[in-house]
Amino acid sequence: MADDPQRNFRSAYYEKVGFRGVEEKKSLEILLKDNPLDLEKLSTFSQRFPLPSMYRIHVWKVLLGILPPHSDSHNLVGGYRKEQYQDILEALEVMRYINAATPSTHVYLRMFQLESQVLPRCSETTAPDEENEDFLSISRAMEEIVDDPIDCYWLIKCFVNQFHTKFGDSLPHLPKSLEHYLSQEEPRLLNHLKNTGALAQLPYGLWFRRCFAGCLPESSLQRVWDKVISGSCKILVFVALEILLSYKIMLMGINRPEGVVKFLCNIPQENTDAIVTKAIDLWHKYCGTPMHAV
Amino acid sequence: MAREQPNVGDLLPLLETSDLHQLEEIRGLINEQLSTERGSMLLNGLVDYFLETNSAQAMHILSFSQRHLLDKMNECMTKQACRLPTLTLLGHVIRKQPSWIHKIARYPLLLSLLKCLKTDTDVVVLITGVLVLITLLPMIPQAGKQHLWEYFDIFGRLEVYLIHLHASVYSLFHRLYGMYPCNFVSYLRSHYSMKENMETFEEVVKPMLEHVRIHPELVTGTKDHELDPTRWKKYEIHDIVIECAKVSLDPKEASCEEGYATMPENFYPQNSTCELNSSCGGKDPLWSPSSLCGMATPPSSRGMSPNLELSHSASHLPTGGKGTPASSTPATSSPPPTLSDDFPIISLPANTVQSSPPRKVCSAVMMCSYLFVSLKDAGAAENVSMTLTELSVFMKKQELELQFRTEKEREEAAITEELLKITEDTQELPGLRGFDSPFYHTTETLTGSETTASTSALGLEQSWPFQSGFTPIDHHLHRSPSAPDDEVGKLGMFSPSPCSKTPAPVPYESFFDLALPRAASLFVGQKTSEAVHKVDGEEEGVVSASPLEVLDRLVQQGSDAHDKVLKSCVYVCEACDHVNYIIITTASPGSAPLDELHTLRSQLLLLHNQLLYERYKREQHAVRNRRLLRRIINATALEEQNNAMKDQLNLQSVDILSLRESLQVEQQRYRQLWDDRETVVTRLHSQIRQLQQGRDDYYTKNQELQSKLQECQKRMDELEAELQRANNKVCHTGHLLNQMTVKLSNSESTQQQMSFLNKQLLLLGEAHKLSMQELHHTGTDNTKEAQMLQVSYAKEVETLRQSLLVQGQKLDAAQQRVAELETHLSKKEHLIAEQKKFLEDVKCQAKAELQASDSRYQAQRRITQLLQTELLQLYSRVEMEAPASTATSSPPGGRADPHTLADSRSGWGTHTNEEAASRPSHDSARGNGSTLSPGQPKASNSSKSTANSINGSQDLAPPLLVEPSPSCPHVNPLAPLPPSDAPLTVGSYPSAKSFLGMRARELFRNKSESQCDEEQPPPRLAGLAHGLKTELCVEPPCPGYIVPVSPAPSPIPTPAPAPTPAAATPLTVPTKEPPSEPKHRASSQESPRRKAGAGPGGGRGQGGSARPRQQHLKIMDYNETHHEHS
Repeated sequence: MADDPQRNFRSAYYEKVGFRGVEEKKSLEILLKDNPLDLEKLSTFSQRFPLPSMYRIHVWKVLLGILPPHSDSHNLVGGYRKEQYQDILEALEVMRYINAATPSTHVYLRMFQLESQVLPRCSETTAPDEENEDFLSISRAMEEIVDDPIDCYWLIKCFVNQFHTKFGDSLPHLPKSLEHYLSQEEPRLLNHLKNTGALAQLPYGLWFRRCFAGCLPESSLQRVWDKVISGSCKILVFVALEILLSYKIMLMGINRPEGVVKFLCNIPQENTDAIVTKAIDLWHKYCGTPMHAV
Repeated sequence: MAREQPNVGDLLPLLETSDLHQLEEIRGLINEQLSTERGSMLLNGLVDYFLETNSAQAMHILSFSQRHLLDKMNECMTKQACRLPTLTLLGHVIRKQPSWIHKIARYPLLLSLLKCLKTDTDVVVLITGVLVLITLLPMIPQAGKQHLWEYFDIFGRLEVYLIHLHASVYSLFHRLYGMYPCNFVSYLRSHYSMKENMETFEEVVKPMLEHVRIHPELVTGTKDHELDPTRWKKYEIHDIVIECAKVSLDPKEASCEEGYATMPENFYPQNSTCELNSSCGGKDPLWSPSSLCGMATPPSSRGMSPNLELSHSASHLPTGGKGTPASSTPATSSPPPTLSDDFPIISLPANTVQSSPPRKVCSAVMMCSYLFVSLKDAGAAENVSMTLTELSVFMKKQELELQFRTEKEREEAAITEELLKITEDTQELPGLRGFDSPFYHTTETLTGSETTASTSALGLEQSWPFQSGFTPIDHHLHRSPSAPDDEVGKLGMFSPSPCSKTPAPVPYESFFDLALPRAASLFVGQKTSEAVHKVDGEEEGVVSASPLEVLDRLVQQGSDAHDKVLKSCVYVCEACDHVNYIIITTASPGSAPLDELHTLRSQLLLLHNQLLYERYKREQHAVRNRRLLRRIINATALEEQNNAMKDQLNLQSVDILSLRESLQVEQQRYRQLWDDRETVVTRLHSQIRQLQQGRDDYYTKNQELQSKLQECQKRMDELEAELQRANNKVCHTGHLLNQMTVKLSNSESTQQQMSFLNKQLLLLGEAHKLSMQELHHTGTDNTKEAQMLQVSYAKEVETLRQSLLVQGQKLDAAQQRVAELETHLSKKEHLIAEQKKFLEDVKCQAKAELQASDSRYQAQRRITQLLQTELLQLYSRVEMEAPASTATSSPPGGRADPHTLADSRSGWGTHTNEEAASRPSHDSARGNGSTLSPGQPKASNSSKSTANSINGSQDLAPPLLVEPSPSCPHVNPLAPLPPSDAPLTVGSYPSAKSFLGMRARELFRNKSESQCDEEQPPPRLAGLAHGLKTELCVEPPCPGYIVPVSPAPSPIPTPAPAPTPAAATPLTVPTKEPPSEPKHRASSQESPRRKAGAGPGGGRGQGGSARPRQQHLKIMDYNETHHEHS
């Protein structure tokens, strides 16, 4: 990337001076021009730089395998995806799992269940359990980010699938990791949380299983998801860490674990962008900036 | 100083000298002393002197000094005895308005004055003090708050038990109300809200309140704002006085200045009635306003002004021309001397009034209204007084006029009668005539302007004042020449006005002598008193008279009594006694007659003070009038200027007109010139055109000539070229000739050489012959041979070398070729690699696409599964709901099933009639209550029948199988069948001859052919069908779905259709198995399911095996690719 002749030779200096993202769009465009797309480069790019919003959905789709790396077959595969979506949708409609009034997130949930063969019988549909709630909140967030329902469904499905297959094993270790980093960054807060007993009750489910869907506003969330989709679940730990650090003063003031949880579940939506930016910096600091080699 | 001091002190008594010159000297001396002296000795002496003697001169001098005087006066104030004279002095000083007067507020004198007013009980002192205070107030408007409250306290304290005091308190009331309305009203509110003061309020304050209008400041101002010094900065003293007068409704206090000119009509008459009756006894309505002059009420005094002014203009201007401001100003500015000299009687009113021309209109109108009103009131006593007060002026205008006329007649008659009685002084007549006649003239001349002015000024009243007011005057004046007696009478009536003031003591003593018509005034006074008594009876209840009026009346009575006494030739003292007596009887009935003289004196003092106060007020008016006059002069000057500018404008417009005309002339001339120019231009243009034509002609000719010239030149060139060529030829030939000559010489020399060589040849031939001969002689040698050999060897070597070279070249070529081929090879390899890469790429792409389509397919499969589940559920429900109907229908179905099975078996066994088999299947379907569509492809018949047969064997099972559970596959009815059927699968494909087979072929040919190469889809399809069946424990109708698909794989074995003897076996398994079976064997791996499922695995395992194998293949591919990559 750096030795790409098409790239502006000044780009290296832009970052030194503090301009971020000046050349990134261009280099991403160069990456996207490749045929077949180099998934590794794309994911490295996505890890290193924030994605321009105009390419975000496309890159996600490629990274999640919704679109193949060969741009020639994008249309064909896109058609397949669309048909599949419609088929499932129609089937669900015919079977009266859903109707026009069903909220789209529930539609997605049913479709997902159908595809993963866990769809309960019509008569036995129960209130969504924890896992379904995770799915629903992710799909709610995704719905905000993506306009097209077909893309939205596919992104949700593939995101959830990929997340579970890729990070399903490492999820239980994330709280420990969070504790570790918190002890390095702000041991006082950690002690406070430990003493009040809030550490065990932190909203890990919201943070790590739902990937902050419903916790951060979509504008900030998609930047976190960029990293998740491009293959890092560590970022979740750092976002959580940064949230804790940002509201340190307030958290220090709350003594009851329920209060801490309540506050963390409903953090203010104002400066989440800054939080995410700081979290990404922190992540780069601890995990290093991912280079070409993976 | 000390030396001079006694001198000056001694000089003081000399101030009273009658020698004017000496007096002047002494005054100058004292003033000098005062200005140089540091101490206050002389001043004190002066004050003491004044206090002792009441000297007017001393007072005059004193009023110029300031500080010490104030200290001294303050000192004197503390002494009871000196208080009155001190106050008088203070009054004088204040009325002089020295420049330092505003500082007085800072001196203790003011405080002691206030204290005195608060504590003293002597009426005279109080009144004098109050008057001083009233005069002082406008001069120090920004007094502090504590002062203000002290004023109010004084106001509140002064219990009114004397009319004089009442009058002065009344004035104080007006002053305070006019200056500090808010504070004052709040004071009144606080003070009179107390119960003990209530009575006083009712008696004293309330009547006063009736005489004031609401002060605008009460609405807009605040207490603090009133005390704000900035508020007062823009006012002069007289402004403040006028402001105070403005809020008064009492015509005696009020000002008729701007905005207040139209007095309320229903109020006015009543006052004026009292006025009239008191002063003139209602006798002379025409001149009653003039009598009011003496009381310094603005309207009446102004009523006098035109007359006065006009008399001047008349006397000074022979034409009696217009009363222009310019002509009238001297008259106004210098009234005192003229009046005192020429018109002694009018002098007093003239003093009080500073007439100004613009006021003429107003005052004239005022006068007219006065006239009218007085007439009305005069009549009121007789008949219409009641109605008049009630009726509005406009409604009764005509009526009033009529009345007026009739009254007038009567009045005039009365006047003439009275005049006969009056002993008059003829001395005044000329002046009065001179006064009257110009007035007439001027009114004539002024009417035009005055009417217009008055109409604009009066607004509503525009019509009647002049009709009802002026006509009588005109009428009256018209008569004046013919009846001079009337004029005298009028003058007689006029005279009482000064007389009403005359009771005031010292300064007007001189006027007493001049007041000649004493008898007349006495008479009038008597009349007045009579009228007063009369009117008092009438009016008392109507309206509470203004305190000033009461005082007036009292004074009038006093003077009346006095005059009576005079008339009866009694001394003034007695008259005073009389007055005193009256006053005492009216005002303070309790006082004993013992100290009559004393009281009389105090009364006199009081009156004097009152007079001084009124004079001061008049002066303030004068100051104001002067200022207003200045404005008028400015205005007229501006008007003049305006007119002049208008004239200039006119002149300039005329200029402009002439200029415009000249402009037009110029324009015409210009137009003519333009036309001329145009013609010249056109002419010149035509000339130019002609010339241009000529020029063009010449130009063409010129061109022709030039072309000719060019031709000639060309020809010349050609000729020259020819010439050159000729020259060239000549040169060439010359050159050739030269060469030839050289050659010739050469050939000659060669010929010579040839001959020489021939000779040599001959010689050599001879020598050869000789050598030959010699050779023959010597014999042949070996050397020659050796030479020959050598030569041949050399030649051989040469050839060998040549061949070596060729060989080397060949080698090079070959090597080059090798290199070429090598590069070619590498290229090829590269190409191959690329191809491989591309292939990989394509593979990846295809894989991705395949994955997508696979996921689609998976989804489809899931959908189908779900749909089937749903269907099953529905079926089960239907069957649950209608158990009775199935109970009746199913047994036959069950019974029929074996038949159909048999039929189908036989049908299949013989491969003959499928139609027969199809019917039972339908029946069974119906028997199951299924809604299987009759339009099902016929190709499915066979499988349907088998399915039915399965169903048939399981007849009782369906209700149990409603729930598709994962355990279902184990209870699959197919379970026992597959093992036995397995080998038979090959022949399961319907025979090509059969209709079904053909149909199926037709249907699936393309697909199968295309898929033949891939080999994968068929088993997968079968697997699908199978998987579905096995996993979901498909109910009988399910084959209906699956069967159309199942034939698809069958074409594969078609190349080797082996109609085995076992063809008669149930077709369910065969249909699914044939494609899988060969692969089954081909694939070395067995699916774990198959192993586990043993029997049932036959159905299930196929699907399972088909897929894993496929996946395996895929995996192999991946591995390969990965290996290649890595």
